[in-house]
Amino acid sequence: MKKSLVAPQIWHPEEVSEAWSLLKRFGKAARVLAGGTAVQLDWAAGAPVPEHWIDLNRLDDLRGVTELADGGIWIGALTSLSALRHGALIGKKLPMLCDAVGRVGSAGIRNLATLGGNVASGSGCIIPALLALDAEVELFTAKGLVRRNLRALLSSSLTPMEGVVLVAIVVPARLPAKTCFEKMGLRRAFTPSVINAAAGLWFDGAGNVVKARLAIGGGITPPQRLSAAEHSLIGIPLSALDWTSLKRDMLGEMRVPSDAFRSAEYRRNVAANAIIAGLGGGVALDAVAGKASAHCFASIPAFVPVPYSEVEVSRAAMSERWRMRPDVTAKVEGAFTYLTDIRKPDMLVGRVLRAGYPHARILGIDTSEAEALPGVHAVVTHRDVKGLNGYGIVIPDQPAFCADKVRYVGDAVAAIAAESEEIAERALALIRVDYEVLPIVDDAERALAPDAPLVHESGNLLADLGLERGKVDEAFARAAHIVEDVYVTPRQMHAFMETEGGYAEPTPEGGLLVCVAGQHGYRDRMQLARILDVDEECIRIVSSPSGGAFGGKDELTVQPALALLALKAGRPVRLQLDRWESVLAGTKRQPMRIRMRTACDAEGYLIAQEVDAIADGGAYASLGASVVETALEHVTGAYRIPNVRSRGRLAYTNNGFGGAFRGFGCNEMLFAVESQIGRLAEKAGLDPVSFRVRNLRQPGDMGYLGQVVAPSDRGRETLAAAAASDLWARERGVSADGRKVIGVGLAVALQGSGLGSAIGDSGAARLSLAADGKIEAAFGAEEIGQGVLALIQESVARVLGCERDDVRPVIGDTAKTVDSGSTTASRMTYVVWRSASETGPELSAKLLAAAAKEMGKQSEELAIGAGGIYDARRNVPDVPLLSFAALAQSLGEAERPSAECGFAFPISHGTVEGNARFLHCHSAVLARVAVDRVTGMVEVLDLDQHTAAGPVMDVANYSGQIEGGGVQGLGFTLTEDTLIEGGTFTSRNFDSYMVPMIADAPANMRVFAMEELDAGDPYGPRGVGELGISAVSPAVAAAVADAVGIWVVEAPFSPEKILIRTGGMSAPAE
Amino acid sequence: MTIRFVLNGEPVEMDARPDERFVDLLRDRLGLPGAKVGCGIGRCGSCTVIIDDVAMNGCLLPAYKLEGRRITTVEGLGSLPEGRAVILAFSEGNAFQCGYCAPGFTVAMTALLMREDVPDEADIREALGGHVCRCTGYHSILRAAADAAVRCQKDD
Repeated sequence: MKKSLVAPQIWHPEEVSEAWSLLKRFGKAARVLAGGTAVQLDWAAGAPVPEHWIDLNRLDDLRGVTELADGGIWIGALTSLSALRHGALIGKKLPMLCDAVGRVGSAGIRNLATLGGNVASGSGCIIPALLALDAEVELFTAKGLVRRNLRALLSSSLTPMEGVVLVAIVVPARLPAKTCFEKMGLRRAFTPSVINAAAGLWFDGAGNVVKARLAIGGGITPPQRLSAAEHSLIGIPLSALDWTSLKRDMLGEMRVPSDAFRSAEYRRNVAANAIIAGLGGGVALDAVAGKASAHCFASIPAFVPVPYSEVEVSRAAMSERWRMRPDVTAKVEGAFTYLTDIRKPDMLVGRVLRAGYPHARILGIDTSEAEALPGVHAVVTHRDVKGLNGYGIVIPDQPAFCADKVRYVGDAVAAIAAESEEIAERALALIRVDYEVLPIVDDAERALAPDAPLVHESGNLLADLGLERGKVDEAFARAAHIVEDVYVTPRQMHAFMETEGGYAEPTPEGGLLVCVAGQHGYRDRMQLARILDVDEECIRIVSSPSGGAFGGKDELTVQPALALLALKAGRPVRLQLDRWESVLAGTKRQPMRIRMRTACDAEGYLIAQEVDAIADGGAYASLGASVVETALEHVTGAYRIPNVRSRGRLAYTNNGFGGAFRGFGCNEMLFAVESQIGRLAEKAGLDPVSFRVRNLRQPGDMGYLGQVVAPSDRGRETLAAAAASDLWARERGVSADGRKVIGVGLAVALQGSGLGSAIGDSGAARLSLAADGKIEAAFGAEEIGQGVLALIQESVARVLGCERDDVRPVIGDTAKTVDSGSTTASRMTYVVWRSASETGPELSAKLLAAAAKEMGKQSEELAIGAGGIYDARRNVPDVPLLSFAALAQSLGEAERPSAECGFAFPISHGTVEGNARFLHCHSAVLARVAVDRVTGMVEVLDLDQHTAAGPVMDVANYSGQIEGGGVQGLGFTLTEDTLIEGGTFTSRNFDSYMVPMIADAPANMRVFAMEELDAGDPYGPRGVGELGISAVSPAVAAAVADAVGIWVVEAPFSPEKILIRTGGMSAPAE
Repeated sequence: MTIRFVLNGEPVEMDARPDERFVDLLRDRLGLPGAKVGCGIGRCGSCTVIIDDVAMNGCLLPAYKLEGRRITTVEGLGSLPEGRAVILAFSEGNAFQCGYCAPGFTVAMTALLMREDVPDEADIREALGGHVCRCTGYHSILRAAADAAVRCQKDD
């Protein structure tokens, strides 16, 4: 709830008449509230909050459902939606209404929200259902209690509920014999309404329609009855109905608006389609089935035996290896402390003033009024930055606080530390900033035009990378098949559940403690020290744990503001962005347009690939250029293609700012590459497996950039496993009810790990015996949810031979760890495993030597086991001869063993043309989808990932990364895009940015792994933080193509475009 | 205004602005940071609390609505048999990763088990369908929730 500056007056009428009188008395300054769920969304979006709130909750008479004497059903306006949803009477008598209610909000919201609120809002999702039931309403008005037909009421005025109190909804006794209701949304459930449609039909004894109610509404669509279409149904049986003309009639009279999410045309068509499908008219569309079956390939050949066995990575299949995460119970109990949870008595609250303009020159900043406000302890601007006013992992071009101009709406201009949220909010409004608005550039291609406004003086071209090899033009000239298209990828938002935040405080020693979740505490410290112009040692960074990151906390976020505020105020300051500010200010995945032209010869061998990609980097460099570089590293995917020309450009624009996001360019590029492969296979007359088999890279091949790569290439084996999957044999084609078309698709990924050959990349760790007998494992690593704590325990315990619980990970704190590098790029699995391998034997030897000395034995007689030191010749595990704790106690602090390591992350040697990865992992992904012919929406039924990344160190971590990455990939593919228009975000929160919910996750997901490495492969487990997202989009695209015969090239997939291409709506006139 | 309610079995009396969000009272004034704010508009479920036996979004509850209510937050689930079953099942099943959404899911699943003795998969999907988890892809949560339902029956 957004709070106004003045507290509202709350009224609790005991009678309806009293509520009505209050409403009359205060007029527009009052608002009736029941559940208060919908109105709070309006207020959060900026609608004015009224002074008087009339709470109806004491009107118990307005609650409940009763059957009236005439058989009608009376539903009190205050009846909660969940009471309706789970109530026996509604479930039995009005199942359509029960269904409609269940499509509103979530379970938690339905417990608060009321039917009256839904109806009185005038735009509620349930209204069309009530119109289809010909419902009436009871109102308290100047004339007392009156009953009106709902439709008549809604059409009587633009504000039919003004000055009246809704008492009840009454569904008349004579119910329609046939009903339907459908809510069309932006995702499968818990979604804003795109449009809702409902119908009710009454018949005579001969089966002719005698009365019809067809209705639409929901979201931005005003409730409407389709009277002309209703009339056309009267007097005939449904069997004689011309559905095509009914659709035409309905389309003709619907008055429906458009918005940034869906067009009016789409809304009208899906509403009409839904009513027709719901009334049994099927999908009265152009026949789609033929197209689908033409593209279904009958069978997939099992082409090679699988030399490496595959395991299903699950608790059920690997129960003996299943371990609980050390942090999970505290998380589930709500006892786990995040850095944004800390409150201290003298702590101030920080807020940041954002630019609000996508591009403007700063003429002046006046903070004097804000500083003078009682309760304000610090106001900081660029004038407080003593060091470099800039940060950025590659190029520090992002100001901590803007001095001369702002380049995106979320740019930080000033910050405040105050005694309360309210004071901070007031103080923000008192900062005067004079701007001269500048022309913006909001498109990457236009940004590179010669006359484009400059985001930075250095020009808008941030990176221009490329590579050419072989004889590309010659190869295209002799090609048998060529596929060319432009693939578009979304401005995906990380949407970590814990928004950016934390706290900072000056330390008694004159230093600064900064506790903000990040992905590389040591680099955060370096960047912060550069801004503050202090020695790095003066700053202690606590950067873990984190409520999710996914790349979005790789760059600095709120650390500069917090640090400057805490130093200036001389007190602890906390600050956490709310979701809207996180959307506004935070980094995003850079949208890409990838033009790709791919050729094969008559036998289906790939011969040429040409790629021209352009990415929208937004206002600042961050890691953008590295993302483009990584995308270009994957232009041949997992294949041999001898002739390649690639180019990737990154442009500055005023569209937010882009940077790291799981996949880091690889999944964007693979969406294009794998789609091209699937389409070429079709052209060459080959099934998707056979085509890939003949083109896959072979073990021992050099990497794409000419680099030597690590052994254990499992491209063929993972593909073979996918080819042998039972998914191919499941139901495909048109579903039994005709509404959906089901298809299966395949895509493969080769995903690198590590930062690459061109940048320094190193790892380090320290193991030591702590005073309490725990083996302390110190890593400069962050727990971002991926499970690094479990990984550290497992890796160290394996090497030492002790139990996981004997190991205490110490992470995410520059005062207690060593710099292990960034928790990014799927690199930490290797770093931890390698560190344990390097330090473990040394620590082990030291522990045994110390124990031997203490026990008067030889080291060789002893061995490490659970909890301590054992006799090396013991047969059964038992109590240790000397526990770790006893050993630690017997030693002085200086005598307690420890071991440290530092090493370079493995990189490629040889002739490398760019930034090349050495370690890789593989996946072959199968998606089975159902395309809804009514809505054009894609539902993912199955998602199987056959992976190979070396040994599985922790079962839950591994399956969690692949499943979680998979669903994030589905979001990228189907629902997620941060909408921005003219540099200003249309997406503001989770009501306008569609992350997948439970209903959007695949019904079934399976994760498989091939753990075995090649003999002599010394590189251990590869990280899978990104593998799970790598090949999901093209697998879904291939499945859609299998189902309905079209390849969708823009993500997120537009249901509108799919519907047009599959005959569910006509293409809009040009 | 002064409001009185029962929080995790203990009576509470406090001054609050009537429009103050309950989740902020919990986190900033009552020292109970278990409920999280992921969106602030009822669209993620991270702040879910149990009010008189039903799950509700703590960010949509203004203080004036708390008067006289019996409230259980995630910190109080251990006193409920359903809560204990859920905590155990979600923990042993490694249902979560970053865990920021975990309190909301745990509270909502407990509320479901308080209402339904034997919830089926559809009940579970409906009860948890308003919760965002950005890490797991939900299946680890669904598997553990099914396990919680079984455990709860066994415990009866």
